[in-house]
Amino acid sequence: MVVNSIIFWLFFAVVSLPYFVLLRKSYKAQNLWLLLASYFFYGWADWKMIPLLAIITIVFYWLGLQIKKNNKDNPKRASHLTTLGVVLGVGVLFYFKYLGFFVQEFAHLFESFGLNAHLSTFSIIMPIGISFFTFKLISYVLEIHRENIQPTKDFIQFATFIAFFPTILSGPIDRPGEFIPQLNKSRQFDYDNVAEGTRRIIWGLFLKVCIADRLFGYTSAVLDNYSHHNATSILIAVLLYSFEMYADFSGYSEMAIGVSQLLGLKVRENFHRPFLSQNTSEYWRRWHMSLTTWITDYIYMPLNVRFRNLGQYGMYIAIFINLVVIGAWHGANWTYVLFGAYHGIILIIIAATERKRRKFEKKYSLKKKAYYKYPRILITFLLVTVGLIIFRASNLSESFEIMQRLTYGYGLPFVNKTAFVFGIPFILLLIFKEFKDENKYNIHFLHSKRLSIRIASIIILLICVFLCGNLDGGQFIYFQF
Amino acid sequence: MERQEIFDQLNEIFIDVLDLDECNLTDETSANDIEEWDSLSHIQLIVAIEKKFKFKFSSLEIMKWNNVGEMVNSIEEKLK
Repeated sequence: MVVNSIIFWLFFAVVSLPYFVLLRKSYKAQNLWLLLASYFFYGWADWKMIPLLAIITIVFYWLGLQIKKNNKDNPKRASHLTTLGVVLGVGVLFYFKYLGFFVQEFAHLFESFGLNAHLSTFSIIMPIGISFFTFKLISYVLEIHRENIQPTKDFIQFATFIAFFPTILSGPIDRPGEFIPQLNKSRQFDYDNVAEGTRRIIWGLFLKVCIADRLFGYTSAVLDNYSHHNATSILIAVLLYSFEMYADFSGYSEMAIGVSQLLGLKVRENFHRPFLSQNTSEYWRRWHMSLTTWITDYIYMPLNVRFRNLGQYGMYIAIFINLVVIGAWHGANWTYVLFGAYHGIILIIIAATERKRRKFEKKYSLKKKAYYKYPRILITFLLVTVGLIIFRASNLSESFEIMQRLTYGYGLPFVNKTAFVFGIPFILLLIFKEFKDENKYNIHFLHSKRLSIRIASIIILLICVFLCGNLDGGQFIYFQF
Repeated sequence: MERQEIFDQLNEIFIDVLDLDECNLTDETSANDIEEWDSLSHIQLIVAIEKKFKFKFSSLEIMKWNNVGEMVNSIEEKLK
């Protein structure tokens, strides 16, 4: 049940009517209703995995209470319980997401020595959304151990936080300290929330069906058959893929955030105009922010603290591990590891030159100068695009071959009318909006002070969605992670 | 050592590590208030504080801080 489908909106209507009418006076009833809806939603995607979700939720609920109980009197036990939680969360993720891959890699290794391991048929079905809800569970125990939050005594509340249907399949990865307190009071139908939620859903829908799904026609035709295409087509496809990826995932995120807002709940932001970043360090602070901040708080900073006496080298090691983890989080494939390592190396270079660069920028007041800013934005975009070639490829040799093919054989490009006629103009609209947002925070189009402009923007976007969008309900790229 | 003295010493450390012209830390100051205070310089600050006061924080202590006030609480605790 994807957000851009009729069935989802039927489901949403059935959920929200009782939520705002019958149950509006009792937050506990609203939470229970949301929990039931969330399990139904999750079960619709993958009912066999409901017991796993339920059991792991119970275990972490118990761990949270136990850690809190021991934090003061028995800090050692609290630490052990926290470690148990982290090992359990990571273990579940590892088992479902990576074990099959490692078994196969070992089987290949054995085979290369002439031994037959008979393991190549080993396969484990990965529960959908596992990369997202295990991260929520882990942050819950870590935050309690760090005494940043109190564990909730209300099991329904905790289970609702973990299974919350707008975000369970693909994030944003919410934090307990921000989300759970919102479940402590009843949510009323609020015009501002509904208006803003609707705007974000429409914008997200536009990004998904008018940009991502339109570009998909071109990028998949070229990149899945790159050996049949010339360098011009491949170049266009890799550039478009960056926009496709961004429109797909930020489109999903906008819709997830919008749906949550309709229900009166605020979830984490996931994107902050990443393609306007001036280096890739900034890019990683603005792209899939709910994942990168999670990794910063729970992996990068602890590693940095641990390695602090190694001087700057400790920091470089932490940066590298951090990015490789971000890469590998996407799945069991060496391409993701290389993608992370590639970004890790760039970030180490940025970190090593940070001080000098800052001084230089200050001395010549370069930061806001157009001739300094725009080339940097472009270079960052191109570096990100190279990373996404590795990211998209099905294996390492494919990514190298695509890059190699970009070096020779330019000619007339392959043309896909819908991608060019719809996708590219819409990308320009997206870029225009992002620049406006960046410089004049959100007071135009959908957020104009004038009602007539707001309504016109909505109508135009909806016309684009229905007339120019690809409404065949393409799956979101991030559902596979 | 008085709390104010710790703040004075921290101001010096912050000016030195973050290369600031001036610094007036309060209990509520956090990384959001100082542009130069990012995750990279945060670690350099910790190393500089440990060197100055001649003790080591535990990882958990460091991870618990949300602002300068909590940092100073940890330092006071260590100096007792």
